[in-house]
Amino acid sequence: MAKTNMSSKRRVAATVVVLVAIIGLFVVRLVDIQVVRADTLSADSLGNRSVENTVYGSRGEILDANGVVLAGTVMRYDVQLSPKNAKQFTRTVAGVKSTVTVPEAAAEIGAITGQTGGQIEAIIADALADNPDSDFAYVSKQVDVDAFRAIYDLDIPWLTFAKNPSRVYPNGAVAGNLVGFVSSEGAAQAGLELGQDACLASANGTETYERGADGVRLPESTVTTDAAVDGSDVVTTIDSDLQFFVQQALAEQAQTTGAAWGNVIVQEVKTGKLVAVADYPSVDPNDVSLTEAEDRGSRAFTAPYEPGSTFKALTAASVLDAGLATPNSQVVAPYRYLPENGANVNDSSNHPDLRLTLTGVLIDSSNTGMSKLGELLTDQQRFDYMTKFGIGSVTESGFPAEEPGILNPYDEWDPQTQYATMFGQGLTTTALQVSSVYQTIANGGVRMPVQLVTGCRAADGTVTNAPSEEGTQVVSASAASDTADMLEMVYQEGWLAKTWNIPGYRVAAKTGTAQMPDGNGGYTKGYLVSVSGFAPADDPQYVVSVSLADPVNMNSSAASAPVFQEVMSQVLKKYRAVPSGAAAPDLSGSW
Amino acid sequence: MSDNLARVPNAHELRPDIAERTGAQRHIEIVAPSKHARPRVVYAVSAVTCVGAIVVAQLLLSVGISQGAYEISALRASQVELGRTADSVSEDLIKVSSPQSLAANAEALGMVSNSTPAYLRLSDGAVLGAPTSADGDQAGAASLVPNSLLTETPLVTQQAAGGTGASVAAAAPATTATGTAASTAATTTAAAAVAATDGLPSPTTR
Repeated sequence: MAKTNMSSKRRVAATVVVLVAIIGLFVVRLVDIQVVRADTLSADSLGNRSVENTVYGSRGEILDANGVVLAGTVMRYDVQLSPKNAKQFTRTVAGVKSTVTVPEAAAEIGAITGQTGGQIEAIIADALADNPDSDFAYVSKQVDVDAFRAIYDLDIPWLTFAKNPSRVYPNGAVAGNLVGFVSSEGAAQAGLELGQDACLASANGTETYERGADGVRLPESTVTTDAAVDGSDVVTTIDSDLQFFVQQALAEQAQTTGAAWGNVIVQEVKTGKLVAVADYPSVDPNDVSLTEAEDRGSRAFTAPYEPGSTFKALTAASVLDAGLATPNSQVVAPYRYLPENGANVNDSSNHPDLRLTLTGVLIDSSNTGMSKLGELLTDQQRFDYMTKFGIGSVTESGFPAEEPGILNPYDEWDPQTQYATMFGQGLTTTALQVSSVYQTIANGGVRMPVQLVTGCRAADGTVTNAPSEEGTQVVSASAASDTADMLEMVYQEGWLAKTWNIPGYRVAAKTGTAQMPDGNGGYTKGYLVSVSGFAPADDPQYVVSVSLADPVNMNSSAASAPVFQEVMSQVLKKYRAVPSGAAAPDLSGSW
Repeated sequence: MSDNLARVPNAHELRPDIAERTGAQRHIEIVAPSKHARPRVVYAVSAVTCVGAIVVAQLLLSVGISQGAYEISALRASQVELGRTADSVSEDLIKVSSPQSLAANAEALGMVSNSTPAYLRLSDGAVLGAPTSADGDQAGAASLVPNSLLTETPLVTQQAAGGTGASVAAAAPATTATGTAASTAATTTAAAAVAATDGLPSPTTR
């Protein structure tokens, strides 16, 4: 009994020892696998069956006011090949096997990508010359879906493809200067693409999934490691159809007159929205290399110039608002006026003393007459009016690199500048600021913030970054309407009355012919000719502002007037502005 | 205190060691084997059957899932393909609906723009505005606002002229030979005119 007890105890002990040894072995192995070599092993195993996939977030679209896509994202494909593997291969078509040599394959690819077979063979040869083991070379970058499919269907084993999301501008150069463009790597370069990048930007995500030996994705194995984020859409105030028309009209006249550059702005009077901002030369964002680097932006925002006589409307409205003159205020306008402060003001052409009213000063665009009326205000008063009209500061448009123009403080004005600023010299404005001045006058003296973008619209429809729509009263409603009446007289009786006539509508407009600075403190021989105005004058709806720089074939505002006429007609037609019924005011220009 | 007294009879429950010892000292008696052994076989059989059924179900399920994986994979592939088709056609559509394409096509079809609008007020029949006929002076200007996407997109008249190509070539051999923009416009107008002799294009209704 005792003996069996002893042997069974020994057996138990032996068993325990063996068990402990085995468990110990397992524990050591477990620690080795799970802790010591865990990372290496799991990476190895995943590498064998898991695939990491980039999920592309798509950059937001830039839309016009009606939802037309001005800039969108499309998927493009890079075609790549492995030079060292580029050999002949066997292709099976409908059960029939055939051998395809490299030149044959190259010719097939080239027929689709627009290259010659020889060019593609050269790519292979060059890559192999650099490195005999070369496994990678681009055949063609950013081919579209149709080309990609066609090449894919060729079933060439040494070709590989990479997705490459790219930007497309379906309307080409329509609003191209506004929309801007991105680099081939997708980085925003100019225009709204740059200015609204925070809204548009997307983020790529990644997902991993596991696949079986035959390449099929294993169910439930997809892990999104990083979610892709789509960009939001930027909604602009631009109307792409009108924008096209305006660019067309501008380009035609700019080419006829030999202008260096030009722009046209169409702005809604009641809201301050920019309906069209055309620049010449215009850039096609699909291929910016076709345009000179300096022409790729929008000069309407970024190129301030001395506005010249269009600015007289601002001075007139200021004098009227201060109650120091009426449209019928009488003044004697000489050819040359020498004020007491030592300035020297003269008109553009020699004339005897003219007995003009304020209206007549605007019709004849007399610098001396304007000086005699403008000096009724102090420099400070005029400076304050200009500031309230938005001169000297960037507008609310949010366009990148917008220039504020130069408006020096009034106490720094020299005697000549004190007078020159009354008729638009000695300070610079952008075309946009001039348009905004006319918008203010047309809108009963209320300046609306200049709007180019109505907001950043997320996928769920929520709109953020909506601009302010609160206007500011710059001059009184009566001063504004008197100024509008005088501008209507300019339209009817000015020297371009026949050129810019729009039958059936009452229009208010003013020309400007300003000397252009040469960049060295002097002036060039060229002029910047402009026309700004609004219609219908009895219920102003749209401001049109045209500027042409140095039209060598016709160096006067007669060059810009036809564009004004054409664009304004189209605007009135397009937006179904009711033709004017009431008679135009009749103010006397002389006494 | 009363609580302590109440717990005394249950003390062995709190001390299992005591309970065991007392149990070991109990009288042990041999019990006749049970006469109901057969039902236990039934239990065993049913348990084994259950395990078998579970194994088979599991197998079928994973066969089903992997079959589904192939189906999903195929559907995913066709979804990608269809997505590409959608991309391709919507790109084409968006291209031809660009203002440049519309203007060039309208012009090729002989349309002109009239920039002086006039309106008829229905309430009293009044004519608002000054009606004048269009002079068509904007013809041939369609290329001033470039769109590099449209370089390979033919005009509608060029597509329509495919059928009457011979007559177009016969009618305007001089214009087809030169390649300037102006003569292209002329060619397309000629094409439209020639096509019109075969009858205006009209939808076929069945």
